[in-house]
Amino acid sequence: MKKIKLPDLIELPPLLDPWDQQEASGADATGIYEFYRNLAEGDLTTTKCRDCGKIGFPPAIICTNCLSDNLEWVRIPEVGELYAFSEMRLGAPMILDQIAPFIVAIARFGDYPENGVQMSGMIFDSGYDELKIGDRVKWEIIEIKGPAERKRYWYCFKKV
Amino acid sequence: MRNVAIVGGGITRFGVREVGWKDLVQEAGKAVFDDVSNLDRKDIDSLFVGAAQPERWVYQTHVAPLVAELLGVDVRRVIARTEVACASGQAAIRYAWLSIATGLSDVALVLGVEKMNTKHMNISQTCMVNVGNREFDGVNGFTAPPFFAMVAQRHMHDYGTTKEQMAIVRVKNAKYGVMNPYAQFQKEVTVEKVMGSRMISPPLSLLDCSAMTDGAAALILASEDIARKLTDTPVWIVGGVQVVEHSHTVNQMGDLSEWKALRKAADELYKMTGIEAKDIDIAEVHDCFTISEIIEYEELGFCKKGEGGKFIEEGESYIGGKVAVNPGGGLLANGHPLGATGIRQAWEILMQFRGEVPEGRYVSGARIAIAHNLSGMAQLHHLMAYSVEKPQNLKG
Repeated sequence: MKKIKLPDLIELPPLLDPWDQQEASGADATGIYEFYRNLAEGDLTTTKCRDCGKIGFPPAIICTNCLSDNLEWVRIPEVGELYAFSEMRLGAPMILDQIAPFIVAIARFGDYPENGVQMSGMIFDSGYDELKIGDRVKWEIIEIKGPAERKRYWYCFKKV
Repeated sequence: MRNVAIVGGGITRFGVREVGWKDLVQEAGKAVFDDVSNLDRKDIDSLFVGAAQPERWVYQTHVAPLVAELLGVDVRRVIARTEVACASGQAAIRYAWLSIATGLSDVALVLGVEKMNTKHMNISQTCMVNVGNREFDGVNGFTAPPFFAMVAQRHMHDYGTTKEQMAIVRVKNAKYGVMNPYAQFQKEVTVEKVMGSRMISPPLSLLDCSAMTDGAAALILASEDIARKLTDTPVWIVGGVQVVEHSHTVNQMGDLSEWKALRKAADELYKMTGIEAKDIDIAEVHDCFTISEIIEYEELGFCKKGEGGKFIEEGESYIGGKVAVNPGGGLLANGHPLGATGIRQAWEILMQFRGEVPEGRYVSGARIAIAHNLSGMAQLHHLMAYSVEKPQNLKG
């Protein structure tokens, strides 16, 4: 009988890596390239509309409030407030199951919603029982070490 | 707009099924054709298939024509697959309704299906993490359990809701699920059992969560003149709305314990149909987690904001209370095959109105029912209203 030989190991499609949408390779790869470039330089930033003044998050190429494309990059205030949190104990997606359990959180930075942002983020340095609603948290840049060719960066939250 | 009715329905057993996606389609399809035995399949002119992520779970896309083939249906008016994550099934009903109401279609087959259990559950969870904004929220572990756990945490913080009140939702839905042979979970539970089950994402325990489920459900929808020929017990679609308020990423969600988009959807539906919250006999609501059902009591207007926990504690959402909520067991007992859930809800209402459910979960004399789906991280809310009366009669 004729046989078709497949490799013993099939490489994981990079699509299942949650950071694969980071097209930080250049400005022609994504309209929000600066977000990733700023991350690599240690800054968490987003876009703010020069016309209506609205801070958007995630960053984008037009303002979702007034549709202006006259945007500037602004730094997200470093310290914010923990709005809600839980812990990923069971049922993590692929790749993230490698680092579970971890705290999944929502924090508010600046004067949300008028002049600030509400963001999701992971917390690694505190246990679930060590956190409470209203805790002061700061964002911190982290490096994602893994199968990608280039260095990749992300952020997490840390209790102040 | 023409009147549109559901003339029949069919469903598969929901659960961890040792069958394939196509088997589920054929099971549900056969069940619906058995239910409407006087329908000539040649009279079906349109097909709508609710399926959330077949390309991820079973690596199959272009599924609507595949369903047509599997059930021997030829389409000549409209064929489409609908996707809005957890509410893909209700979306299929909505588009069939619209197509028949406008006169483009006369008879539509509506089928929802999902096969979510695979050998690799972390791949299934990867499918779920794509429902939020993958680049900015999914990447931070925003699958449904941690997200709804934060919703529960905030509702407990803002309104004093307790874990015990949440557990009673599961107790109620498990009680009705036992009387539903198609439901995934066939055991009654106690408050202690729910609260003592394994912690998944605090404060949510395993039994606060609905399951990853395989299942399919199907309906036949028809215009009024054809419906009259096919059945003596049509269920009329009296209205339907969807509300999303530019909310997908966490930044746009505002307060997690308030689902303003659902309140707006309810207001819109009540305005559209002339129905008030107090008129509703049966509410099939999206209890993907116990906390969801509690918030839904509030935003649908069954009780005041913040009093959803008290509402279940006082038994008001049981059959015999103010409104029978999830008398078929809801998502908690049935499981939640994303594309099938919305159609399972309509199927439950059809069976209730026809009196074809066991006495213990039968809502006697029911005339008006609503079905609520939410999708993703409760960003988008979907409502349909059904009645034994035509819409014109309801508005008086």
